[in-house]
Amino acid sequence: MTTPEETPSSRSRPSALDLYETMVRIRELETRIESLHYSGKMHGSFHSSMGQEGAAAGVIGCLRSTDLVTSTHRGHGHAVAKGMSPTTIVAELLGLQAGSSGGKGGSMHLHDIGCGFLGENAIVAGGVPWAAGAAWASRRLGKDLVAVSFVGDGGAAQGVFAETLRMARTWGTPLLVACENNHLAHSMPVERTFGEPGSIAAWAAGFGIRAEYVAGDDVFGVHRIAAEMIDEVRITGRAAFLEVEVWRVRAHSLNDPDYRYLPRDLGKSHLQTHDPIANAERSPELSDAEIAAARERVTQEIADAIEAAFEGQAAAESLATSGVYTEAFEREAQLRGW
Amino acid sequence: MAGELKYAEAIRRALADELASDPNVVVMGQEIEALGGVFTATQGLAESFEGRVLDTPLAESATVGWAIGAAMAGLRPVVEIMFMDFIATAMDQIVNGAAKLRYMSGGQITVPIVIRTPSDAGTGHGPQHSQHLETWFAHVPGLVVAMPSTVPDAYWMLRQSIRDDNPVVFVESKYLYFRESGEIGPESRGTAHPYEARIVRNGHSVTVVTAGRMVAESLAAAESLAVDGIECEVVDLRFIWPYDRETLAQSIERTNRLMIVHEAVQDFGWGSEICSWAASELFYSLDAPIRRLATPRAPIPFAAHLESALVPNRTIIESAVRDLAMH
Repeated sequence: MTTPEETPSSRSRPSALDLYETMVRIRELETRIESLHYSGKMHGSFHSSMGQEGAAAGVIGCLRSTDLVTSTHRGHGHAVAKGMSPTTIVAELLGLQAGSSGGKGGSMHLHDIGCGFLGENAIVAGGVPWAAGAAWASRRLGKDLVAVSFVGDGGAAQGVFAETLRMARTWGTPLLVACENNHLAHSMPVERTFGEPGSIAAWAAGFGIRAEYVAGDDVFGVHRIAAEMIDEVRITGRAAFLEVEVWRVRAHSLNDPDYRYLPRDLGKSHLQTHDPIANAERSPELSDAEIAAARERVTQEIADAIEAAFEGQAAAESLATSGVYTEAFEREAQLRGW
Repeated sequence: MAGELKYAEAIRRALADELASDPNVVVMGQEIEALGGVFTATQGLAESFEGRVLDTPLAESATVGWAIGAAMAGLRPVVEIMFMDFIATAMDQIVNGAAKLRYMSGGQITVPIVIRTPSDAGTGHGPQHSQHLETWFAHVPGLVVAMPSTVPDAYWMLRQSIRDDNPVVFVESKYLYFRESGEIGPESRGTAHPYEARIVRNGHSVTVVTAGRMVAESLAAAESLAVDGIECEVVDLRFIWPYDRETLAQSIERTNRLMIVHEAVQDFGWGSEICSWAASELFYSLDAPIRRLATPRAPIPFAAHLESALVPNRTIIESAVRDLAMH
């Protein structure tokens, strides 16, 4: 186990075990969520980040609690890594009052302002300008924080993505865009849109910002480059871009017939070759005893979290139309029949 | 506050006064810094409020998204979209971001942003610089839609909108920017609630509900009709959402006739909503069918004679109201 190291811009660094444990926490939570769907206890959309945990853990592991993160439709891992409570997440996915929005948002709309998780956004790349603007505004308000915006290779094709990189370059903002290139924009192979791994970073570099590529199946490698870049972003206030190559194990979403566009068992074979968790377990950074203890700890934690979530109550149906506007507005609306 | 201002100057004064009174207000948009805005609404503000009135790249979607993020972090951004037609390029951020964030986050996030944007035909700007699109936003839960018609309203409604914690789409009248003048006067905020409509002319014959620059056209029509004893009650809606049902109902119950006039295209326009509401709620108060008078289903043409053939004006309003009054 490595010891946390002090740097000028970050109070403490996570240990190898911290990074590993975050990945296991994400994997365990999402695996259990998947089971809850298959057993009919959960409904609706779910996009698993299985196999991509190295990006979430490695990048967010560099952040302070006050730093900000925006995410995508595939964002449970980012939420967990930033410190959002698994109980709150599960309660939200169950549509219960104790969820982050009492069941209004669901899987693709997790938000936890308290831990700096500004939120997911199910509009691909829609959260990138949020992170940029929040980081920029925070800097103006005298806060020494940075924002990380996760986006996928699919999102890198969106107009707002390019617009935001241009604006970040023009205005300056302490933002790291972490692009999880999982090779597939739903069914569209990234090779057809951008090219080989690293080509999104090469393209982003054209905006005049620092852009790097890293393989996401090595959480320690991700963490090394992300830590260095986030330090630089924090000190200079200039945006940067990190392409993290990851491998999507599951279908795009739970009910997606990915056999129509992918070889069967490709996901499983990704887990044989590119699993960031298995790779971390094979590294000299972690002992077998640490791994076993972490797994046991996390399994229990997630089991407890799910149990706690199931104890919650559903929100009243009358709440479905509330919380659209501010409370003062809605009081008037109720009074006046708007 | 003595002295007359143009409508555009009233907007500028409101921005200046909010910038001065709240250090968290920032103004973002295209050509607003050195140029001072294509309609002069920000002229001189970049110098007076250094670093707070900022040119963006030509990137409406990122600009609105950036403003949303800045609002999440504690600022009150005001975004200028140069012409309302251009707002189409920022729709996702307004509709899926600003409007829904409070709901999606269970109240954790508020997005106090104002999106100022001018609309109107009558200025020879052609099909992609003239369309009234306020109905789009009135349809989206989470947004407030403001549409001032006078100098005091341009000033006070903008100040109110900047202080509103809800996201506001603020539709300015580019036709009136340099034609309408007046004094700002004392605060014209509603007495019962902030989104009140205003009866700008009393009458017993027909209620004419309108907003924006059509208020002046309707008032002019009302003066001509008065010569023949037809007395219009003209209601300036001021806010398209929420629209002030109490004021409308009181007026319609007095006149028993309703005409809705707007510059947005008639089909599925906001007049249809008011028409539907009035037909349901005030059926027994109505002595005649409700009429809508609005722009036909065509883009706004460039040529002045084509433009004026399409958009309602005082003459067309006068004739339509006369028919309704005689019904």
